[in-house]
Amino acid sequence: MKRVIHYLRAINAENMKEWRIELKYKPDFFRQFFAPFVYLLPYFLYGVALLGGRFSEHLQSITGVADMIAYTFIGYLIMGFLNTACWAMGWSLRKEQWYGTLDTVFAAPVPRWVYVAGMAFHSTLHQGLIMVFQAVIISVFFAIAFKTTGIGVVLVIVALMVVGLYGLGVLIAGLTIGLKQWWVISEALNTLMVVVTPIAYPLAVLPVFIRKISLVLPTTYGVMGVRHLLLGEQIGYDLTTILFRLAVILIVWVTIGMGVFMMMDRYGRKKGFVSLY
Amino acid sequence: MLQTRGIELKNLVKVFKKKKKDEVRAVDGVSFRIAEGELFGLLGPNGAGKTTLIKCLSTLLIPDDGTAIVGGCDVNADPLGVRRKLGVLTGGERSLYWKLTPVENLNYFAALYGVPRSETKERIHYLLELMDLFDKKHERVERLSSGMKQKLSIARTLVHDPPILLIDEPTLGLDPYFARFIRTFIKTELHEQLKKTILLTTHYMDEADELCERIAFMYNGKIKALDTPHLLKKRMPQEQVLEVKCVGDIDDQAFSSMHEYGTLNLSKQDGFTYVRMSTENPEDLLSGVVEIVRDRARVLSVSVTSPTLEDVFVHLTGASLKDDTTQQ
Ligand SMILES: Nc1ncnc2c1ncn2[C@@H]1O[C@H](COP(=O)(O)OP(=O)(O)OP(=O)(O)O)[C@@H](O)[C@H]1O
Ligand SMILES: [Mg+2]
Repeated sequence: MKRVIHYLRAINAENMKEWRIELKYKPDFFRQFFAPFVYLLPYFLYGVALLGGRFSEHLQSITGVADMIAYTFIGYLIMGFLNTACWAMGWSLRKEQWYGTLDTVFAAPVPRWVYVAGMAFHSTLHQGLIMVFQAVIISVFFAIAFKTTGIGVVLVIVALMVVGLYGLGVLIAGLTIGLKQWWVISEALNTLMVVVTPIAYPLAVLPVFIRKISLVLPTTYGVMGVRHLLLGEQIGYDLTTILFRLAVILIVWVTIGMGVFMMMDRYGRKKGFVSLY
Repeated sequence: MLQTRGIELKNLVKVFKKKKKDEVRAVDGVSFRIAEGELFGLLGPNGAGKTTLIKCLSTLLIPDDGTAIVGGCDVNADPLGVRRKLGVLTGGERSLYWKLTPVENLNYFAALYGVPRSETKERIHYLLELMDLFDKKHERVERLSSGMKQKLSIARTLVHDPPILLIDEPTLGLDPYFARFIRTFIKTELHEQLKKTILLTTHYMDEADELCERIAFMYNGKIKALDTPHLLKKRMPQEQVLEVKCVGDIDDQAFSSMHEYGTLNLSKQDGFTYVRMSTENPEDLLSGVVEIVRDRARVLSVSVTSPTLEDVFVHLTGASLKDDTTQQ
């Protein structure tokens, strides 16, 4: 019991420490809230240029949703979680290496997963806050009418997806301590996921072999499920399938992620990479 | 004997593989035992393997061979148990979050190291007072001097009140005032008052001589000698040392003719060169040594002293503590 309390406090301390450090860089912290709008704009303009307006009959005919902006925005929001998992979690150990604090953190009497859980907890709060902020601004500004009836299921889908993504984040974090060229692999994984997830288009437009890859990514089901619930997109899967597959993906990804992390931790301590930066 | 607060190493080995066949035997078959409450020193030049040894003991590196028991727990079988017993001071000032204040740093490490919430505030207060940092508690670490950062690192090491401390080069790069404070603190507070078991590494012989009850000489991953400072100095066959302090460059080639008379120890410090010859009869060598030195440098003073640990180290290993024996 004493140990459980210790670990829980450690997880929260990890989270609080991250907030404190982030808030010491105020401009950068607040930039994160607004920068995404800038990245989103090209998507919107591109869409408008192609369609001649915000609404598209073609999009409506293949997805059931006419509003290109609302459609793209949800895909985009979901990708925010991917980026947090890859960069915030993946880079966190890198940052500790760079500060010089990694040895002291790793010499603490807590198992490694406590540290991982702390990072995940913080990432969730951090990204969640930014998401909510953006969702409110965008939906008010563009007067998007979301359906609110399925909001509970939306949260479940997002939660399952996010935890699944943390499997990837942990994997990347593990690579940083075990491999010198770790970032090549993490870049590749991140890019692959961004390209293959149907952010701004329905699954149906993907070539068949790419669609196969996208069917093992949590982001695919996250985007589809959330868009279906909030906008009524026709996705060709029922919700139970989506939830079930997300759960399976979560288990597989987290297992692989933690496995690689533990392996890399051991490998790094054998080879002596852990504290090099 | 069940040692719950001691350290015991048996034939510990850590090898780093470099490119191709190259390897560095950073820790090469080290065995020794540190008793409960002992202040034990590991003295050796750069690259001797001191930090690597500390990392093996603190479970940051996995040894390739041998065993290490820390506080009754095996580093391989029960790393978490080992970490519960240990406070590790390594990496010095960089082991803190520079963007955070001392209080924020200590709060974080207290939670991570398992200090109960109800005791945290009091503990931090105590440590800040102890390290004379109370005025600076809300200042960002990056704005503190190196000496203060090192003091804060020590407070961080003590946050969970561990019975065993591993202290790696505690005064490296500090000015004399802070170095003095930290040495006194380790000796009187940590050793005498709190009775911690301490393994301290250093390449300053004064530090080892002044603080440690027993000292192990480490060189190229191996322990070359282990004894009390007093008995180590007795290992010199020669009783006295002739020291010439001068300004200018001198190499050991110049003294090749004198090898049979004693051990030569050349060192540089603060811009001066010190020529130390360990010998039975300093008077006999006096004119010869001064002659050689005067040819190449300006002699400032000549004195006869007793051997230092540095002289013993040179005598036993053939290397100076100021050498850099790091293998790239
Ligand atoms: N992570 C590593 N990977 C490869 N080689 C290493 C690593 N760490 C240390 N070494 C090598 O091991 C040897 C011992 O290094 P170590 O840092 O333990 O020495 P040290 O006695 O602490 O020296 P210093 O006084 O410079 O701190 C050196 O030759 C060093 O190059
Ligand atoms: Mg060292």
